[in-house]
Amino acid sequence: MRGGRGAPYDDAVQTRAQWLFSAGAAFVLVAAGDAPVRASASAFAPGPWLAFHDDGTVTILAGKAEMGQGVRTSLPMLVAEELDVPWSSVRVETATPSDAIDMATSGSNSVADGWVPLRIAGATARAMLVAAAAARLGVAPATLKTEGGAVLDPRGTRIPYTALLADAARLPVPANVALKPQAAFTLVGTAVAKADARDIAEGRAQYGIDARLPGMLYAAVVRAPHASCTLRGIDERAARAVEGVRNVVRVPSGIAVVADSTWTALRGRDALAATWDDAGCATLDSRAMWKQLDDAMASGGRVTLSSGTPNAASAGLRAVDAVYRYPFQAHVAMEPLTATVWVRQGRVDVWAGTQRANLVRTEIAKRAGLSPSDVHVNVLLTGGAFGRRIARDFILEAYEIARNAGAPVKSVWSREDDVAHDMYQPAAIHRLGALVDASGLPVVWKHATATFHLSMFGALDLNDKDVWDGAPWGGYDVPYAFASHEARYAPVAAPVPTGAWRSVDYPGGVFARESFLDELAHATGADPLALRMRLIPSPGNVQRRAGPVPNGDRLRAVLRLAAERAGWGTAPQARPGRRVARGIACNSYFGGAMTATVAEASVGDDGGVRVHRVVCAIDAGQIVNESGLRAQVEGGIVWGLTAALHDQITFARGCAEQRNFGSYRVVRTTDCPEIVVIPVRSTLRPYGAGESAVPPAIAAVANAVRAATGAPVRALPIRTSGTAVPA
Amino acid sequence: MKRAFALTVNGEKTSFEADPAMPLLWVLRDVLGLTGTKFGCGIAQCGACTVDVNGAAMRSCVTPVGTVETASIRTIEGLAADPAGAALQRAWVGEDVAQCRYCQSGMLIEATRLLREQPHPTDPQIDAGMAGHICRCGTYPRIRAAIRSASAKT
Repeated sequence: MRGGRGAPYDDAVQTRAQWLFSAGAAFVLVAAGDAPVRASASAFAPGPWLAFHDDGTVTILAGKAEMGQGVRTSLPMLVAEELDVPWSSVRVETATPSDAIDMATSGSNSVADGWVPLRIAGATARAMLVAAAAARLGVAPATLKTEGGAVLDPRGTRIPYTALLADAARLPVPANVALKPQAAFTLVGTAVAKADARDIAEGRAQYGIDARLPGMLYAAVVRAPHASCTLRGIDERAARAVEGVRNVVRVPSGIAVVADSTWTALRGRDALAATWDDAGCATLDSRAMWKQLDDAMASGGRVTLSSGTPNAASAGLRAVDAVYRYPFQAHVAMEPLTATVWVRQGRVDVWAGTQRANLVRTEIAKRAGLSPSDVHVNVLLTGGAFGRRIARDFILEAYEIARNAGAPVKSVWSREDDVAHDMYQPAAIHRLGALVDASGLPVVWKHATATFHLSMFGALDLNDKDVWDGAPWGGYDVPYAFASHEARYAPVAAPVPTGAWRSVDYPGGVFARESFLDELAHATGADPLALRMRLIPSPGNVQRRAGPVPNGDRLRAVLRLAAERAGWGTAPQARPGRRVARGIACNSYFGGAMTATVAEASVGDDGGVRVHRVVCAIDAGQIVNESGLRAQVEGGIVWGLTAALHDQITFARGCAEQRNFGSYRVVRTTDCPEIVVIPVRSTLRPYGAGESAVPPAIAAVANAVRAATGAPVRALPIRTSGTAVPA
Repeated sequence: MKRAFALTVNGEKTSFEADPAMPLLWVLRDVLGLTGTKFGCGIAQCGACTVDVNGAAMRSCVTPVGTVETASIRTIEGLAADPAGAALQRAWVGEDVAQCRYCQSGMLIEATRLLREQPHPTDPQIDAGMAGHICRCGTYPRIRAAIRSASAKT
């Protein structure tokens, strides 16, 4: 199935990745029939994360879902570094969720979470191999070194790990092992091509949608346009008349057509011609939703942060305020939502790309009346997730279709299903206000946000302190020092499904904050970079929830790097018929990754915006895979450009008005700028970088457009008249 | 109505039964098990399903199998047999292009078509040639680099 071995989906696949594990991280002998990897697996399979083979290769498990962020490369690199094995000898497998392995994948947390445990796993195995060699050579372990999959003694004797496996497996597990100093890393911090690069290029990589099982059926579902709708009628006979349709079944989320191919299922689904009574959402449109947010903003919400002296004498201070609007947006990962489920007596098997494999396991177990150990979740490659696949709706729905099907069932969402039943990035209104002193410095800063809560995580509970803690993102955790700082938050129960989206609430908060700061600089004649440098405390703490991190200097450093590379302060290249300018923005992602971005954009006479170049400097702590880090930043910038220029879901009668890529535009090659990424070398722990590049990219483009036209950008996606007169 | 087909895919004749209206995409994926070709939008907007039909890069999601019965079809699984395709596959690995990877087989088929028609494309020609493809992960800069790299080696 993976790694190009082309194994069929069968019971062997289930057991192959049932890695042996004991709570004490003890080495466990692999029992016959439980061979975790393949027949040649040696007896040395220390802990859940790695297994040595007699041929000199070592299999390392990636314990997170691979969805493009590169965890099948970066996480095994951490193990391989401490093991001192050549990267070319490493075989990567994706783990299986179990009581021991939590595969929850989100929040840019994978590398940060794996940083210590995975290195300990590698170092523990290495220490046991060294101990085995020391015993054989009759020397102290401290006299031995390891390198390239072998133990070396001072005389130059080289014992390959393969010759030590049986001995090592008999040794006690050391309670404490020393980790390599970061300065001694030879693999971590280098640029490594993705573990699956060749399989992808040759079309062998297996995604959730590629699952194939003997006798498998295919399903498509028609779902209520909005939760308030009730079914008026369907033409079940017409669906059953489609050649190849096997069944029409009611499931909690709608009506499923089960057929002999995806195409037949989709045709059968369309033939159902379902009609709905939508009186309950007849007036639920974008206008009504904006009014809900406007009303919430007018209500004042709740003060979540009040520091300094809010009543500072305002005499002589200049008051500035502005309101920013952030639209609903869709995920539209390239792989539509899909899951394959096979329900048999006493067991359920699932094949899917999911960011919550463990919850899939327990939630299906509960529905099926089984123990979680009877539910086998195979986490396949995921064609993008971006937060959407935290939700289990599409997998639980597939389970409901499959539970009485008597065969494995693959449920596939069409792109129209994906757009219509997304859990959208919610719209938000940000109101910012400041009082500026005679030197141009904002001394009072207020950021109020009204937004819809994320229904993906349950109903809005105003008594839950997590709703308020640290909100609004980017408005509470401002990386600037103000004499007085107030944050307000007004959450509203979402009238349509909403959910986590790449960098969650940061894009709107940072777009508003960084745009407002730019407007202040513009109004006072200050340089936007210089103003930021004046406001970032040095040293200072930029944090949210987490403990203090001395990182004001880190943010200033990335700002300097990005500005210098982008030619900040010099005139951008003139472009005939277009007004060209640069914009700058920065953000601290949860106090960890520091990102600064400069965009060079132009506006034509027709108002059209083109982004020509984006320079981004990032300090995400220790770099694990430099190629992967750069890729995440490049991708985050392109994601941010789509948000700045195109992304927008609007609603009518409770439904999205956009249906597919024809009406939901995203950045393509033709509007993708030159991108320059400057990764900062750091010895701080790795913070993760999957999301941090998104928010400042949006704001940098908005600020470039403001600088080009003189007109502030107060709403996304950016729309300019093209004729705005510079103020 | 289903009927018998004999289709040439990646140089091999393969026989099966299908409705002539069934898009080539679903024939490849569900009938023949060639899952390297991906479903992205179903309306020829994203390019994920692109396959080579008689040298043209076609959107298999809107191509009824009945219209390509006599054609020679090449999918990502057979791309290495094309010299430009093989060069691009190497460049794709060399530049570490893919992120989630889902769109990449369509991208590779299109890039092969591009290099066949324009062995040394300019940057605007690369952009225009690849404009029909969406990568939500944003690998466009590396796709450009990989096409340039493969072009330089041919």
